Amino acid sequence: MKIIAAFEKTKELSYTSHLDVQRTLQRAFRRADLPLAFSKGFNPHPKLSFATALATGYTSAGEWLEVELDGEITPEAFLSRVNAALPVGMRFVSAFVAGDSFGTLSKMLVAAKYLVTLYTDAPVTFEEIDAAVKAIMDSDEVIVEKKTKSGIKPANIRPEILEAEAVSASDRTAVVAVAGVLTAAGGLRAETFARAMFERLNLVGRFTAHRTSLCFTGSDRLPTLR
Amino acid sequence: MDTRITDELLSRVEKPARYIGSEWNMERKEVFDFRFALCFPDVYEIGMSHLGSRILYRVLNDMDGVYCERCYAPWTDMEQALRERNVPLFTLETKSPLRDFDVVGFSLLYEMCYTNVLTMLELSDIPFLSAERDERYPLIVAGGPCTCNPEPIAGIFDAILLGDGEELEPELVECVRSAKREGVGKAELLKRLAGIEGVYVPSFYEPVYEDGRYVRTERLFEFAPAHPQKRVVRNLDSAKYIGKQLVPHMQIVHDRVAVEVMRGCTRGCRFCQAGYIYRPVRERTKETLLEQTRDLVSCTGYDEVSLLSLSTGDYSELHELLPQIIDDMAAQKVSVSLPSLRIDSLLKDDLEKMQTVRKGGLTFAPEAGTQRMRDVINKNVTEDDLLRAVTDAFTAGWCGVKLYFMIGLPTETDEDILGIAELARKVSNAFYRLPKDKRGSGFRVTVSVSTFVPKPWTAFQWCAQDRQEEIVRKQQLLKTALKGVRGAELHCHPSVLSVLEAVFSRGDRRLAGVLIDAYRRGCRFDSWAEHFKPDAWAAAFEANGLSMDEYAHRERDTEEPLPWETIDALVTVSYLKREWARAKEARTTKDCRQGCNGCFGEHCEDYCRV
Repeated sequence: MKIIAAFEKTKELSYTSHLDVQRTLQRAFRRADLPLAFSKGFNPHPKLSFATALATGYTSAGEWLEVELDGEITPEAFLSRVNAALPVGMRFVSAFVAGDSFGTLSKMLVAAKYLVTLYTDAPVTFEEIDAAVKAIMDSDEVIVEKKTKSGIKPANIRPEILEAEAVSASDRTAVVAVAGVLTAAGGLRAETFARAMFERLNLVGRFTAHRTSLCFTGSDRLPTLR
Repeated sequence: MDTRITDELLSRVEKPARYIGSEWNMERKEVFDFRFALCFPDVYEIGMSHLGSRILYRVLNDMDGVYCERCYAPWTDMEQALRERNVPLFTLETKSPLRDFDVVGFSLLYEMCYTNVLTMLELSDIPFLSAERDERYPLIVAGGPCTCNPEPIAGIFDAILLGDGEELEPELVECVRSAKREGVGKAELLKRLAGIEGVYVPSFYEPVYEDGRYVRTERLFEFAPAHPQKRVVRNLDSAKYIGKQLVPHMQIVHDRVAVEVMRGCTRGCRFCQAGYIYRPVRERTKETLLEQTRDLVSCTGYDEVSLLSLSTGDYSELHELLPQIIDDMAAQKVSVSLPSLRIDSLLKDDLEKMQTVRKGGLTFAPEAGTQRMRDVINKNVTEDDLLRAVTDAFTAGWCGVKLYFMIGLPTETDEDILGIAELARKVSNAFYRLPKDKRGSGFRVTVSVSTFVPKPWTAFQWCAQDRQEEIVRKQQLLKTALKGVRGAELHCHPSVLSVLEAVFSRGDRRLAGVLIDAYRRGCRFDSWAEHFKPDAWAAAFEANGLSMDEYAHRERDTEEPLPWETIDALVTVSYLKREWARAKEARTTKDCRQGCNGCFGEHCEDYCRV
């Protein structure tokens, strides 16, 4: 059977990489004594696949994955057993059983929503943040230097930004909500959006990102963009 | 610490997972009155792999009211971030600075990590030298195999712990805790500590040098033992073990369940410091090991178990233990590996069982290329043994093997170097001699060659290390000789570092000045090629008027006083002298399971019950 589930990643565990998360989950599933299905071959691995990876350093309210099991388990039992075996900072928040015809998460993924917190080197007001967000949304082009395999290149990230809204600002901290395209082929990164914001504000600083939701199409059991 | 600060620091470093803690099985305590910082002077991935630290973490945290936290050497990016923000180095559990602890204890496993001890102290605003610290600072102690010659770092530590820590560390903690309650000063505390078996308080002893050489050590106080003796856990089977092993998020060097089947080794290889200083051999029973394995696998979720010891193949119940553990683990898809295999006839059956789950790497350590050389070092393995073992392995489906050798061994000639290549050729031939349908593909014989470093408390503690030019020449000779050996791949360790290692292994107290000087010149993580600064080290030696050559490349007379003889490592000097004499005649000494060789002298009755 196949279980589809979402976990949150918070606190210090946000600094673990995608590979670290895979290892941590595999070991937690073993500790939880789940009837895992294994791949064939010399190095058998549990069959576990993610909708997408989360960048190291980001927190998330819901990272989706599917896991293949060789036995039956209820979603409730899955949640309680696995959560009891997870380190502080990771916790499953929802789970359901999917049939064989259920699609592949990574192919159903269309977008992601973030809360981006900007820590600026000078005080900013809500109005300034709001104006910067609107300026981005009103432009046809938002050019940001993007790291690619062949070096740093300017890229227009505007088509990847679906929605953006100023949430709050006080002293040197501002929060912006943004929704961006995200598919197996790539999409908006919170980091490039944060840089675009710093450029519009004419400030420097650092940022943190919290993924509030992944958005899918093709199933009413998964979160959607609306 | 404020999470804003940790967030900012963590966002600036390459591998933030090194500093976050929060691993599965991490200790969380609310109520405690004694804080112990267990420090490891290398990066997280290495420190977390250390078995001794895993044991001590459990032993200390099982004590009432004691909270033991961990701290590893920050990588250079984190060091820079901490300095720029003026934030002290912090522990993983509660993100507390080391200054807040009662005891700060370092595990010393490798001399080339000594500079990292200084980094960790400086980032904690703790003075380097014991003499510069009063009661306001934590007690700074060290343990681990490097303390068998504590002299180069003696000035840094308030107390040095010799031998096994399982029973010693709790005694140390109780002693410090009661001294704290009574409000006694540091001098009195050290005096009490000196009364614990296995504790060496360096400030109670003073070395004397004449004509630039160490001549003797003067004991300054009657109450200090003349020769502090290393501590031995007599019953390993009942000794505390890891309990709940920490499960890291990031990959570490030894990322698996570790089961220590025995401590010590009976082989008597003459170069091997571990073989001498972990004596006597003590085994855990098969039942204990099966139980520990099951418990550790279920509480960690690891899918690999390693049966650790200096020579697991010598474990007396191995051929009963191995099939049982493998059967036990197979159902859960957990593989079992042995880090060291005995090259003997029963190996074939074990190999066949081991590959039922997952095929690990296969490593053998002939150590030397010719029988004469192996007799000198007392590595009692023959070429026939090795060839039989690899043929068995190849027949069982393995198609790669790693062979460990040393060069620069005492009495070594070019013939011994060429013998390494010859052995690799025979191993290669053994593979290709098998019919095509009986062997795998992609054959590799990896020849890994390290440079011999003479170590204290070994039969070779008196001998000169080969000079760097000579090592480079021998490496080149081997490289040429290996050409044309099918599947052979050569890995040589850099030789410059081995010289420094030889210096600090057999050094005296004067080296502390060099160490601090080199640190000030930017030396860090010396064992990492990208950080090693040979020029800075050379300048530090020169500035302190000391010569690396004198420490590394000079043969000592067996009557010459040696700085580490202040402590008692149980193995006697007279036994080591006998072994050194036999080595020079290429005469072997039998495994002491076949009869006592008298290595402990008068301690034999008390400590050795093989």
